[in-house]
Amino acid sequence: MSRPPVCRPARSSWALVALAGLGAAACDPADHGPRFRPAGSPTPRAGGTLRFAVKDSLHTLDPTIGYDEIGYYVLHPLFDTLVDFSPAGIDVVPRLARRWSISPDGLVYVFELQPGITFSDGAPITAAHFKFSLERALAAADSPFAEFLADIAGAREVIEGKAAACAGIIAETDGRLAIRLARVNPALLDVLAMPFTTPQRPEHVAAAGDQLRRRPDATGPFELDSWDEGNRIVLRRNPHYFRPQRAHLDAIVMLENIPRDTQFQLFERGELDAAEKLAAPDYLFVMTEPAWQPWVHHATVMNVFGSRMNVRIKPFDDRRVRQALNYALDKRHTARLLNGTTVPSHGILPPGMPGRDPDLAPYPHDVAKARALLAEAGYPQGFDVDYLTTHDEETEKVAGSLQSDLAEVGVRVHITVTSLATYQAEIGQPTRSAFSFASWTADYPDPTDFFDPRFHSRSIKPADSTNDSFYSNPELDALLDAARAELDPGRRDALYRRAERILYDDAPWIWDYHRVITEVTQPYVRGYELHPIWTRDYTSAWLDLGPGGAPVPR
Amino acid sequence: MIGTIARRAGWTVVVVWFAVTATFLVTIAIPADPARALVGPHATAKALERVRAHYCLDRGVVGQYGCWIARVARGDLGESYRSKRAVAAIIADRVWPTAQLALAAIALQLALGVPLGILAATRRGRWPDHAVHLASSIAQSVPAFVAGTVLLYVTAYRWGWFPIGGYGAGGWDRLAHLALPAMTLAAVGTAYYARLVRAELIDVLREDYVRTARAKGLPERIVIGRHALRNALGPIVTLVGLDLGVLLGGAVVIELIFAWPGLGREILQAILELDIPLILGVAMVSACAIAIANLIADVVQLALDPRLREPA
Repeated sequence: MSRPPVCRPARSSWALVALAGLGAAACDPADHGPRFRPAGSPTPRAGGTLRFAVKDSLHTLDPTIGYDEIGYYVLHPLFDTLVDFSPAGIDVVPRLARRWSISPDGLVYVFELQPGITFSDGAPITAAHFKFSLERALAAADSPFAEFLADIAGAREVIEGKAAACAGIIAETDGRLAIRLARVNPALLDVLAMPFTTPQRPEHVAAAGDQLRRRPDATGPFELDSWDEGNRIVLRRNPHYFRPQRAHLDAIVMLENIPRDTQFQLFERGELDAAEKLAAPDYLFVMTEPAWQPWVHHATVMNVFGSRMNVRIKPFDDRRVRQALNYALDKRHTARLLNGTTVPSHGILPPGMPGRDPDLAPYPHDVAKARALLAEAGYPQGFDVDYLTTHDEETEKVAGSLQSDLAEVGVRVHITVTSLATYQAEIGQPTRSAFSFASWTADYPDPTDFFDPRFHSRSIKPADSTNDSFYSNPELDALLDAARAELDPGRRDALYRRAERILYDDAPWIWDYHRVITEVTQPYVRGYELHPIWTRDYTSAWLDLGPGGAPVPR
Repeated sequence: MIGTIARRAGWTVVVVWFAVTATFLVTIAIPADPARALVGPHATAKALERVRAHYCLDRGVVGQYGCWIARVARGDLGESYRSKRAVAAIIADRVWPTAQLALAAIALQLALGVPLGILAATRRGRWPDHAVHLASSIAQSVPAFVAGTVLLYVTAYRWGWFPIGGYGAGGWDRLAHLALPAMTLAAVGTAYYARLVRAELIDVLREDYVRTARAKGLPERIVIGRHALRNALGPIVTLVGLDLGVLLGGAVVIELIFAWPGLGREILQAILELDIPLILGVAMVSACAIAIANLIADVVQLALDPRLREPA
């Protein structure tokens, strides 16, 4: 616990009060930079333990069930899949498959497995293990992944419990897996990069029973060392991993349930190696301190934030009202509230996503135009409307900003804050909430993961509707269906750009922003960048420490 | 006396049942869908149906209640929707950290609050009395989240005297991690105990038997310790019982600030995620803790004060 005093001004208001009373602790306020520096190794150094923390709990290590951001922080290092996304990118690269072929009609995928791939106990991985895993995802009662595989021939029968085996998943030999689709799905390779598709052994799943959530059958560069639930999980290097040069760390430690302020304090004291989702004062501190800049990482992850309007409920059934609200929103306010960590949005596709039209400019802030459109629609004095949002620092801030922007054009927004579970139930029903916060994060980098669940009329349901704007447009449906069946990337992109334009004009959402995430690491953390899909993936990171494995003081 | 205890124990069971049933009804009344919260936005209607059937969510209120009560009767609190882990196992993991925090806080409250109360009562109107009054007013006025944040920032982060949050590895490390949250939690209680002991003792010191004891020439420490304090203990024992029960149910704010892995933090997360089996399980444990602690306080009161016992 010994440490030199941390020497920088107090950031939190409580801390300021405390320090005013107690007198500033003795320290030199001149140096607010990192305490350490890289040792200067020109090549990746093996060994060491990387430590980071998260605010919430990790729920499960069962890849067929785990489906949240924190889960992916550990599932991705534990479980390899046929393919993966390139480091810090979204290109599909080989992982457990060394190569694959796709039939000209796009319906048959054949994967050849890497030689020598094993589970973490050294037992060989075969194509049958992939088949078992995919069928488990289709059949398991609480698997959230069945829909991702629904285009595979015979998948629907397994989902509905009419068949145990999926006819379209064929283990041709131990080293060769074929997947036959019932309809074209250009995003299949992206889906096969998700951790739930990792090979699993039926005997392990059966033997582990309800302990499977704690007993991962690792196939990735790391395996489970220990998990003190709610406190910390430790991953250690998998000695049987087929490509040992991919991982350098001896271990990765993730602390659970550490508040964001505390995370940054631990980071500054050198007890953590990385800190992300910084509280506003910590973020501003890091961003204004030049000595930290080389160790700050930014990435636009695949997300979108805004407000969704139920187009079946007045006054949002009128396109002019929806457009007016888009003109009324001042995206600069949101950006300022979120410390500039946003990219203004013109639609649902985030930057970097195929099919996104980079030339389509976001709605400008134009109060006169908004008022004119409202008047044209029969609301010259504006209107009162309830707005539902979730209990979260960011969403509450953004709702407040929206409220004040819309007040300028006479729209009086009444905000209700609720739990995520209540919010989801309310917005998923066609006759409930008319206006609410909305967001979407990619499972994989393909427009189908954004457009189809949010705006295809097929996704409208009487309850739990993912198309929660209840927007239905046959022209858009036809475009999305055509794009989904299109194998040529250029033509597909063109179709999605047309879809973007339609949604831009029809404005079922107030398009607001895409969130840029920021992480700061200790200077000795090397070989690491934020990933647009996995976010915090330390698999290939290494620690540039001094002799004896200690950080080198700056 | 045994009859009285048995009757109070019976009421304890009724209170626990009532608390848990009320919690169940509240969770049912919330307009939210735990199945959707569980499987995420992409799940198929079929997957939602399967999940609802698996967790009895496709039944009516009575059906769901019956499903849950039947499990409890078998000693099974069900499994958490979110983690698929047995609720009993989650609670078992969280009870000990919470108990350590609660017992440490109660011990500190008693160790500091009672002597300060005695000091204030026996020096009534003089500077020790005023000092205790001022300190306890401040301690009672500062919310726990302010006191906790300030203590954490100054003593742990700036001065490095304590670890910054967490549970520690055991032994001295655990004690080091326990110190700050226990002190924060005890601050308000200490002030309250000091004021209560002072008030009770001042009343008792006016009694005839105290005057008699003094007239007999007994030393003041015997008068206070043996005669006055014992008679002033009744409300304090009741308060300890109540406090212990409440603290064993989890100290949400303190556990959150100090990243202490107790029941309070667990139930907050369960509520936000609408993890109904976990909410009900923790509610049951909290209700049991409060009811049992009160029962014990009642028993101790009966032992201390014969007047409370029923006539034979």
